[in-house]
Amino acid sequence: MSGGMSGPVRRSASPRRLVAIGVTLIVLLSPFLWLLQMSFKSNDLILQFPPPLIFTPTLQNYASLWQGAFAASFVNSLMSASFSTALALVLGVPAAYALSRWAGRGKHALSFAILVTRMAPPIAFTIPFFLFYRWIGLLDTVTGLVLVYTSFNLPLVIWMMQPFFETVPSSLEEAALVDGASTRVVFLQIVLPMVAPGIAATAILCFLYAWNDFFFALILTRTNARTAPVAVVNFMNYEGWEWGKIAAGGSLVMAPVLIFSLAVRRYLVSGLTAGAVKG
Amino acid sequence: MSGEGLVDAERRRFNRLALAPSLIVLFVIAGLPAIYLVVISLTPFQLVNPGSSTDFSSPLRNYLLLPGDPRFVNSLWVQAKLSFWGVLLQVLFGMLLALLLHTQSRVVEFARTLFLIPMVLPPIVVAIIWKLIYTPDISPLYYAASLLNVTMPSLTSSVDFALSAIIIADTWEWMPFTFLMVLAALQTIPEEFSEAALVDGANRLQIFFYITLPFITPILVISGMFRLIDSVKAFPLVFLLTGGGPGSVTEVTNYYAYLLAFDFNEIGYSSSVTIVMLLLVVAVSLGVVWMGRRREAMA
Repeated sequence: MSGGMSGPVRRSASPRRLVAIGVTLIVLLSPFLWLLQMSFKSNDLILQFPPPLIFTPTLQNYASLWQGAFAASFVNSLMSASFSTALALVLGVPAAYALSRWAGRGKHALSFAILVTRMAPPIAFTIPFFLFYRWIGLLDTVTGLVLVYTSFNLPLVIWMMQPFFETVPSSLEEAALVDGASTRVVFLQIVLPMVAPGIAATAILCFLYAWNDFFFALILTRTNARTAPVAVVNFMNYEGWEWGKIAAGGSLVMAPVLIFSLAVRRYLVSGLTAGAVKG
Repeated sequence: MSGEGLVDAERRRFNRLALAPSLIVLFVIAGLPAIYLVVISLTPFQLVNPGSSTDFSSPLRNYLLLPGDPRFVNSLWVQAKLSFWGVLLQVLFGMLLALLLHTQSRVVEFARTLFLIPMVLPPIVVAIIWKLIYTPDISPLYYAASLLNVTMPSLTSSVDFALSAIIIADTWEWMPFTFLMVLAALQTIPEEFSEAALVDGANRLQIFFYITLPFITPILVISGMFRLIDSVKAFPLVFLLTGGGPGSVTEVTNYYAYLLAFDFNEIGYSSSVTIVMLLLVVAVSLGVVWMGRRREAMA
């Protein structure tokens, strides 16, 4: 029982447990892996059952995507996600700093308002945005998407950056202020460099939320500003169920997400729960 | 001292300058749309009939129609079923997964990250993945069933199974979320508790029910509430897997509002459906905030 003496709740992994974890992992990830392997198969091979265990992977699905209109959609996704991230950071980071140093009334009300913006179903924003864009001609533009994405990324920045600012010791700021520096200089030259990792994590989360959007892009774009998620779904409707292309498109859409989100997984939960629970 | 007063004034001016742009932008891109949604919900606005957007002759007409609209009432019921089973399964399996992975080992720590993949995938990619699994010609699931001599019905077009198919996909996608929350809670349980229980001769099941479970119950409830709020947003799965069908078996309120606004052009009526949905979400969110504060107060 030597292994068990550290307590059953937090003992080191037994071989039996490791096997159970491995099997669970394979079972849970198999739908995801199925999509991935499919993207490297020709259409004939996709329809072949039993599926061959070993096959020569082909990049033809990816190549045909890249030659088609999909490349433009991918660029639209990149642009709308990046610009809305930049806009949300420029506006939200100073606001989060001010809020973190402000103990006044209204802080709870503001936090709740921010929470509601994050929790509201997208359709609540889609109807007004659709009508307004139709009126001023922003339908089917990247600018239109950037504005919509900022409506949920800005609250995310304000909320996520506050705890990072709270970790900066106020004695540092006070010393600089006594030396005659202005609050603006203290913020830009002392506080901001100290929260750089937090800004990076927040930026990645903003980018992912905008990148993952399907609903807004489905309704607010047609052809010019169509994003990659909408383009993939269009393969199903108009191009006669080309499963290889669908799988390759899906894999391309998830590639940046997988890379980035594994980099910021520590902050994933706080980003998802948006305010009500302090991790 | 006048010096400090100056510093304070300068700090206040900085705070105002830092906050103002965000508050103005938030008001324009979140506040105004919300107000406009309420205004539109008081009109019988249809896109084909522009004049109707300013017709306030019977402002509560849309809301009075709602209780008598069988499709709206059905959509609430479908949403309730989807939310109930989805949240229940996600909390249950997320907890079991967390218990399985709550152990000290380098390999397991790496594996934890891989378990998060379904949750971080773009929702539309999750929908595509399950579309592949549920399409008989190309699905490994249907192939496996045929090997066992089982004829599986087409799940997503069957009245009996379509909603279950969506619940399964939704559970797969969001189980990692509850898993992550519960794992964080498990790691805060002081080890002395279970050690003391072991010395007293308790078995593992007893330790789970009398020590672990009471400790993680608050986090189970809170993560369930978060999933409950987000379950209202289930759109890509319904859109791609069933399109609300067969009939309206999988037509959740969110999807009904979408069809009303962008298929039937009933913008005004759709807005009133959305407002009702929004009120439900706000009510649950208030519950979460209240519970979070109570937990802080207890801690």
